Amino acid sequence: MRDALRAFLRHPSGLIGLVILLAVVAVAILAPLLFPDSPWDMAGAPFRPPLTPDLPLGSDTLGRNIAAGIAHGARVSLTIGIASTLAALGIGVTIGILAGYFGGRVDDALMRFTELFQTIPSFVLAVVLVAILTPSIATIIGTIAIVSWPPLARLTRAEFMSLKTREFVEAARCQGESALAIVGRHILPNALSPIIVTGSLTVASAILLESALSFLGLGDPNLMSWGFMVGAARTVIRQAWWMSVFPGLAILLTVLAINLLGEGLNDALNPRIARKRG
Amino acid sequence: MNRREFNTWLATAGLVGAAGVPFGFTGALAQGKPGTLNSVIQPEPPTLILGLNQLGPTQTVAGKIYESLLTYGFDLAPMPSLADSWTISEDGKTYTFKLAKGVTWHDGKPFSAEDVVFTTSKFLIETHPRARAIFERCESITAPDPETVVFKLKEPFGPFIQAFEVSTCPIMPKHLYENTDYRNNPANQTPVGTGPFKLQQWVRGSHIHLVKHEAYYRPGLPKLNEIYYRIIPDAASRSLALETGQVQLTQFGDVETFDVPRLRQLPNITLTTKGYEFFAPLAWLDLNNRVKPLDDKRVRQAILYALDRNFIRDKIWFGLGRIPTGPINSATKFYDAKVKTYEHSIDKAKALLEEAGKKPGEVKLKLLQLPYGEVWTRTGEYVKQALSKVGIEVTLESADVAGWSKRVADWDYEMTFNYLYQYGDPALGVARSYVSTNIRKGVLFSNMSGYVNPEVDKAFAEGAATADPAKRQAAYSRAQQILAEEVPVAWFLEIEFPTMHDKSLQNLITTAIGVNDTFKNAERKG
Amino acid sequence: MTGILAAVGARLAKTVAVILLIATVNFMLVHAAPGDPALVIAGQSGATDQKFLDTLRAEYGLDRPVAVQLGTYLGKVVRFDLGFSYRQQRPVLDLILERLPATLLLTLTAFSLALLGGTMLGLVAGTRAGRWSDTAVTIVSLVLYATPIFWLGLILVLIFSVRLGWLPAFGYETVGGGMTGFARVLDILRHLVLPAATLGFFYLAVYARLMRASIIEVSHQDYVKTARAKGLTETQVIRRHMLRNALLPVITIAGVQAGTLVGGSIVVETVFAWPGLGRLIFEAVIQRDYPVLLGIFLVLSILVIAFNILTDILYRIVDPRIGAVR
Repeated sequence: MRDALRAFLRHPSGLIGLVILLAVVAVAILAPLLFPDSPWDMAGAPFRPPLTPDLPLGSDTLGRNIAAGIAHGARVSLTIGIASTLAALGIGVTIGILAGYFGGRVDDALMRFTELFQTIPSFVLAVVLVAILTPSIATIIGTIAIVSWPPLARLTRAEFMSLKTREFVEAARCQGESALAIVGRHILPNALSPIIVTGSLTVASAILLESALSFLGLGDPNLMSWGFMVGAARTVIRQAWWMSVFPGLAILLTVLAINLLGEGLNDALNPRIARKRG
Repeated sequence: MNRREFNTWLATAGLVGAAGVPFGFTGALAQGKPGTLNSVIQPEPPTLILGLNQLGPTQTVAGKIYESLLTYGFDLAPMPSLADSWTISEDGKTYTFKLAKGVTWHDGKPFSAEDVVFTTSKFLIETHPRARAIFERCESITAPDPETVVFKLKEPFGPFIQAFEVSTCPIMPKHLYENTDYRNNPANQTPVGTGPFKLQQWVRGSHIHLVKHEAYYRPGLPKLNEIYYRIIPDAASRSLALETGQVQLTQFGDVETFDVPRLRQLPNITLTTKGYEFFAPLAWLDLNNRVKPLDDKRVRQAILYALDRNFIRDKIWFGLGRIPTGPINSATKFYDAKVKTYEHSIDKAKALLEEAGKKPGEVKLKLLQLPYGEVWTRTGEYVKQALSKVGIEVTLESADVAGWSKRVADWDYEMTFNYLYQYGDPALGVARSYVSTNIRKGVLFSNMSGYVNPEVDKAFAEGAATADPAKRQAAYSRAQQILAEEVPVAWFLEIEFPTMHDKSLQNLITTAIGVNDTFKNAERKG
Repeated sequence: MTGILAAVGARLAKTVAVILLIATVNFMLVHAAPGDPALVIAGQSGATDQKFLDTLRAEYGLDRPVAVQLGTYLGKVVRFDLGFSYRQQRPVLDLILERLPATLLLTLTAFSLALLGGTMLGLVAGTRAGRWSDTAVTIVSLVLYATPIFWLGLILVLIFSVRLGWLPAFGYETVGGGMTGFARVLDILRHLVLPAATLGFFYLAVYARLMRASIIEVSHQDYVKTARAKGLTETQVIRRHMLRNALLPVITIAGVQAGTLVGGSIVVETVFAWPGLGRLIFEAVIQRDYPVLLGIFLVLSILVIAFNILTDILYRIVDPRIGAVR
C-alpha cells in the first residue's frame, strides 16, 4: 500500500487532480456557509456582469448569483456522480461476478443482456429514460447507472475469468469454501484495483452525462446544477457570456480533476499496466 | 478590464455578432419581390384542412385559404367576410346571414349557402369539439335560398355571433366532402377553400407557397401575389431570418421573448401586439382547489399577493403583457376592472396565511412546470422563490408535454401553469375554467382546478343565455367580482404576442384575428 | 465456401433476432411512459371533449391492448414499415430518411476528423513519449476529454460567430438564401464547421489518448525490438511494424463509438439547430410521438450493429493474424 502511495505521489498529474478535486469538494461542503441564501434567490439586478459588488461572477437572467449557483451546483454534480457510479458498480460488478465466476450458460445469457444495452446508444437511452420517468434526482441517478454499468460488468467478468483459475482460488475451493466466500474473500479483493480505477473514471463521465441532461432541460428542476445553468443561459449567450462560461468551466475542471486522479490511481494500483503504458 | 471597458467590449461583441453571423450572405436577394410576403411558420402544420385540425400553425396558414362568415374588429365587433350582412331576431334565437355574391371555391365550383349548412350541421359536428359545443345548440340550420343561411337556436346563446371566426367555423366545400369519411378523404391532400389565397406548393420541411386566388369575389383583392411560409424550426434562426430581411413577418411565439427587445430596435421592423384580441390569452398559476390548503380562499389570496406580477412581466416576459385583474382578459368582451385587486404585498400574504392558521414553512406545495419553453420554466423558478418569501415551500416538478397533459387532465397536480384563449367572449373561453358543470376528469381545459361555486355557475349561465348586452354585462361583472375575491386560480399575465413585420408591409393587421386572418388587404410597398 | 455462407447466415439470423429483441424492449420502454399522445394533440388544439379524444385514440390504435399493438408493430418492422406519425401526419421512415443526411454529414465529418486527427496526434505523442510534444498532446486531449460537448459548442459560437463573426452560429444553411450548386455546398460547409468541430473534439481526445497508449504498448513488444535490432530506421519500424498493431484497439473502440456518435449528436444538434436525427429524437420524446421514437431507436440500433460488423471486417483487414471468416 505504501508503494502504491509512493507511486501515486510520483505522478504530478494525479496530485494536481487530487488538489483540484479536494478544492471542489471543499466548495461543495462549504457552499451553505459561503452562500447561505438559496442559489435560486434573486440576489441582485439581472444581467450584471462579473466583478459587480456582491456578484463576483455576475448574475443571471433573473438576477441570481452565479457564484452561489456554482458552489451549490458542486454538491449536485458530486452527489449525482458518486451515487450513480455506486449504483452502476452495484449492477455491473454483480453481473460481472455472476458471468465471470459461473461461466457457461449464465455467462452467455448475461453477456447477451449486456450487449443489448450496449447496442442502444447510451445517451439516447438516457434521454428517453429520464423523460419517461420524469426528471428528479433519483431518476437521474438511476438512469445514469443504467447506461453506465455495461463496461463495469465486462471488466469485472474479465478479471474473474482470469482469476478463478489461479492456484490460490483452486486451493480455497479444495478446502471446501463456499462460492460466496471464494468470491468475496479471494477473487474480489484481487480484482478490486482495476474496478476502482474504472469506477473513478465513471464518476467523471456521470458528471458529464448529468450536465448534458440538465442542459437539455432534463435535470431535477429543484436543483441548481451546472448543466442547468449553461442550458438556461444558452439563449442569451450573445448578451451575457458569463452566464454560460463559468458553470461550464466548473464542469471542465471537476471532470478533468477526476480523470487525472483516476490516471494517478491507475498508475499506483496497477503497476503492471502502468509500466506497459510507459 | 474595468466595467466600462467591459461594457464596450460587450457592445462590440454584440455588434460584430449581429453583423457577422450572416457573413457571406447576400442579403439583397432575399428581400423578394414587392407582391411577395415571406413569413415563417413553426412548428410545421400537420395538415392545412382547417376543419380537421385547429393547431395554431394550421390556423395561421389555412386562415388565408379558408374563410368563415365573419371576422372581427379590434373591439370584437363582427365584420363581413363570407357574409355581407346579418340580422339577429328580437328573441335572440334566429340569426340570418346574407352571403356575398359570386364566391367560388379554389377548384372553380360555385359556393352557396348549402356549403354553410353542410359545414355547420354535419362536418364540424363530427370533427371539431369547439364548434360542436356551439352548433349543437341549433334547432335547425337552413338555406332558404343560395345566398341566405338561417340558424335557429333552441335557447338564446349570447356569444353565438362570435362563433363565425375562421378557426371556429371554417366553411368546407360540400361537393368534396358530403357522404365521405372526412378524415380520410383523398381531397385532404389539397385544401380547397374560398379564401384570397390558394395552396400552390407545399415542400415538406421547407416551405408552404400560397398564391393569389384570381377569381376572388372581392374586386381588386387580394393585393399580394403570393405568400411563402418558411418552416424554420429553430427560434434563433427565425430571429436571424427576420433580422436579415429573409422573412418580413413573424407572429405568435416565433421569436423568443428575450429576443424581442433587440429586434424591435431594428430600423426596418415594426412591432405590434394588436391582432390577438380574439384569442386574448390569459395565463395563470393553476391551483388545485381539491388539495389542502389550497381549498382555503385565504391561502389562495396569499399566493396572489406574494407574486410580484410586474417582475414576472418585465423581467421574465420582457414586458410582453398586461397584469390581469381577474378571469377575463381586458381585451375580451364584458371585462370589468372594478374588482378586488392584489398589489404585490409580502405582509398581506403573511397575514392571510397566519389568519388561515398556517405557520411559516408549514405549507408545502408542488408546482408542475408547464413544458412550453424557457419563459415558463423561468416563471416557475420565480414563483418558487416568491412563495418561499412568505413561508410557502414549493417543490418544482417537471414533465414533458405528454406527461403534463395527462397529469393535469387527471387532476394529479397541486399547482401548475396554464393559459387559455378566450375567443372574444366569456361564454366561449372563460366559463369553461370555472363552472362546476365543466368539471370533467380526463378532459384537458375543462374546470381542472375543481372550483365550485353555485353563484358563479348561475352568473355564467345567465350571461350566456341572453343576447342582451346589458344583461350579459351585469352577469359577467358579478362573476368577475366573485372570482376576484375567491381567487380560484392566480392570474398573472394577459399574454401579448409580438407580431413583428417589415415596415414595407401595410394593412396587414386589421382585425382581432390578426395574423390568422386572410391578409386580403395586405400590401407590400417597395 | 459453404462454411462461409453458413457463418454469414448465422450472423444474419442472430442480427435479425437482436433487432427484433431491441424493437420489443423499445416498445415496452416507450409505452411504459405516462402520458397520452391523444391528449397532447388535443391540448395543442386548445379545446377538447371526450369524443375528440376517442377519435384520436382510435386513429393511433391506442384503444387496442398493448400486446396487440406490439404484435402489429413487430409485424410491420419485419416488412421495413416503421409506422405512421399521426402528430406529423407522415410515415416515420420518411421523417427519418429526411433527417438522416444532415446527421450523417455531421457525424461522419466529425468522426473522420477525430479519427484521423486523433491517431496522428496519438502517433506523434506515443513515439515521442516524455518529450514536450507528448506533454502538449496529452494536456490538450485531457482537457478536451473533460469538456462538456454542449459547452464547447457554445464557446466556439461565442468566439467564432459572436466575437469574430467568421462562421454562422447555427443552422444547416442560409434560410431563403436561394443558393444553388457550388455556392450552396460552400454555404453548408460553412455551417458545418462549428458543429463538426464540437462533436469531433471530444472523440479526437479519445483517439489521441488511445493511440498514444497503444503505440507505447506496441513499442515494447519483442518484434518491434527485433526490428530495431535489425537496424531499420525508426520511420520504417513505425510504418512496418507498429502502426498496424497499434491501430487495432483504436479501430475496436471507434467501431463501438461510431454508432453511438449519433446519440452524442443530440446535444450538438440542439446547440447548433442542426436539422438532424438528434433533434428529431428530442422532439419526439417531448411530444411523446411513439412511432417516431420507436423508429429512430430501431434505426440507431441497426446502425450500431452495422458498425460493429464493419469493425470486424476492418479488423480482419488490418490484423494479419486473424483469418478470413471465423
